Amino acid sequence: MKAPRSGATPAKAEGKAGVKDTRNTGPGRLLIAVYAVFAISATARAGYQILTKFSEAPLAYLLSAIAALVYVVATVSLAKPGRTWFRISLAAVLVELVGVLVVGALSVFDPVAFPHETVWSLFGRGYAFIPLLLPVLGLVWLYRRRPRLQ
Amino acid sequence: MDAYFYIILVVGLLSSGVCLGAGILKKAPNDFTILSVAAVELALLVYLVGSIVRVIAGEPIAGEAWEFWGYLATAMLLPPAAVYWSILERTRWSNFVLAAVGVTALVMAARMNQIWY
Repeated sequence: MKAPRSGATPAKAEGKAGVKDTRNTGPGRLLIAVYAVFAISATARAGYQILTKFSEAPLAYLLSAIAALVYVVATVSLAKPGRTWFRISLAAVLVELVGVLVVGALSVFDPVAFPHETVWSLFGRGYAFIPLLLPVLGLVWLYRRRPRLQ
Repeated sequence: MDAYFYIILVVGLLSSGVCLGAGILKKAPNDFTILSVAAVELALLVYLVGSIVRVIAGEPIAGEAWEFWGYLATAMLLPPAAVYWSILERTRWSNFVLAAVGVTALVMAARMNQIWY
């Protein structure tokens, strides 16, 4: 891991950040692609759950819908350049991290109150724990491509 | 799990392996990696045609029919999207995006098999 040291190479950092404030190149493309797959699958799943069996577990399926929305916002905002989109990305990824941790913990410690599956249940075990890994990678990527302070 | 699943299993894993290898070797997407993803699309097309034939022949889908077709349609959109995405930026990272297609198609095919039977 090469941490960007602003003190060591100020000219290079300035040139990079000054020209483009983007997060959709290099590893970011893979991140956006994975987010896009999760956005599609989570939206489809939440839509299906809400349309067919919402009354069974309103809380769980509402959480599914929120998760889907978070993935959509993260996908779009990561693909867009600029500082505002960076902030939206950061918020979306943080909400995602908190969501997967809280919902994951709830589904482990209180399975009676939380019997229905969501993307974040059991820390995303149904999705190979990618929902747990994704926000961490997202935060690392956002940190490495953070906009420079004025 | 039927033959369609195993076709996608083999093609998907091979494609992901090729693309992952190319990415690790720091290569940009080339004919080899893009064609391997095209092979995944072809395998899904075989699944589509086979499924249409089976439905016309009167074989019932055990699960929700529209869920099955939804999965299949979404899976078929992934390879073209990934190839388009990889042509826009020709770096090694696009090979990792291409590598994600085979594995995702494999997972979706497994789910499609569950719905069918």
